[in-house]
Amino acid sequence: MEEDEFFGEKTFQHCCAEFIRHSQQIGDGWEWRTLKDCSEGYMCKTHFQIKPETLMSHSGTSACVQTCLPIEEALELPLDDSEVTETTTGSQVIKYEYHVLYSCSYQVPVLYFRASFLDGRPLALKDIWEGIHECYKTRLLQEPWDTITQQEHPILGQPFFVLHPCKTDEFMTPVLKNSQKINRSVNYITSWLSVVGPVVGLNLPLSYARAASEDE
Amino acid sequence: MAEEPECALQLPPSSTTDGEGPTEVSPETATPEPPSSAAVSPGTEEPAGDTKKKIDVLLKAVGDTPIMKTKKWAVERTRTIQGLIDFIKKFLKLVASEQLFIYVNQSFAPSPDQEVGTLYECFGSDGKLVLHYCKSQAWG
Repeated sequence: MEEDEFFGEKTFQHCCAEFIRHSQQIGDGWEWRTLKDCSEGYMCKTHFQIKPETLMSHSGTSACVQTCLPIEEALELPLDDSEVTETTTGSQVIKYEYHVLYSCSYQVPVLYFRASFLDGRPLALKDIWEGIHECYKTRLLQEPWDTITQQEHPILGQPFFVLHPCKTDEFMTPVLKNSQKINRSVNYITSWLSVVGPVVGLNLPLSYARAASEDE
Repeated sequence: MAEEPECALQLPPSSTTDGEGPTEVSPETATPEPPSSAAVSPGTEEPAGDTKKKIDVLLKAVGDTPIMKTKKWAVERTRTIQGLIDFIKKFLKLVASEQLFIYVNQSFAPSPDQEVGTLYECFGSDGKLVLHYCKSQAWG
């Protein structure tokens, strides 16, 4: 029983490796990074997103109502080539970086992230906040199951935002226990990231779900 | 695929429970006038055929989460995961501080904008989509 509740660094690295393997198959962009002379490593991904102003106002209205406005509709409007470079119309390209590290103290993975404009200016948390789906804003404010703080990246030493890991165990344990019951292995990283990722704008393609179950 | 969901509980605007005495929740208070009540409903009125607008979803509880008396629901394809979460939360009368997660394959949480129709196409079998739901502890 203790084996399943203990998510050690080796398991972390193994799960990340499996996760990255699938990422490579689908071109999802995740990579493993290590520092020289260091057995520690982390998983990371960079992606670029166009953030037009109109998108924000749509996401504000669609969330709490049982939504009939798919986000895709909102995206169709501003994705003109001209608007990508035209900062004056309010469209901007944002670079998001997501890093998955192992926390020895909590014995769980932790999600670090940051965002910046193409000219290198970092986004403040409140700007990142605006890009978060409305339903999560409400949740995060009401239900601090994971709070966002700014911390130094343990390996890079640079400031990142972090989804605090103290509650990870709480939502992961039932899932793990359930899989144990039916004798099915779960990729901890896949499950965990599928839950926490959307909170900060990181959505995992569905194929990860299938890949995880194929690892049985 | 003209299958009939076994427990076709009406999503009531008022209290019509069709004689099913719900033990965990009382529907009349759980679902106060949902804006699109047709989105999650019994499948009996649904025309069988290839162009089913609704898909059958089987909801299973994980961990200490209360079990829904009605587990099988017909859901519009375009209903999002977030919409389903909100529905289950209301149905189970969860407090605002309780979080509800939905999983496919018992382990993967689709993003909130994901439509159940897409999930059904990817993960459905035997004419239904099995989703596990799990509540996390209320904040103390």
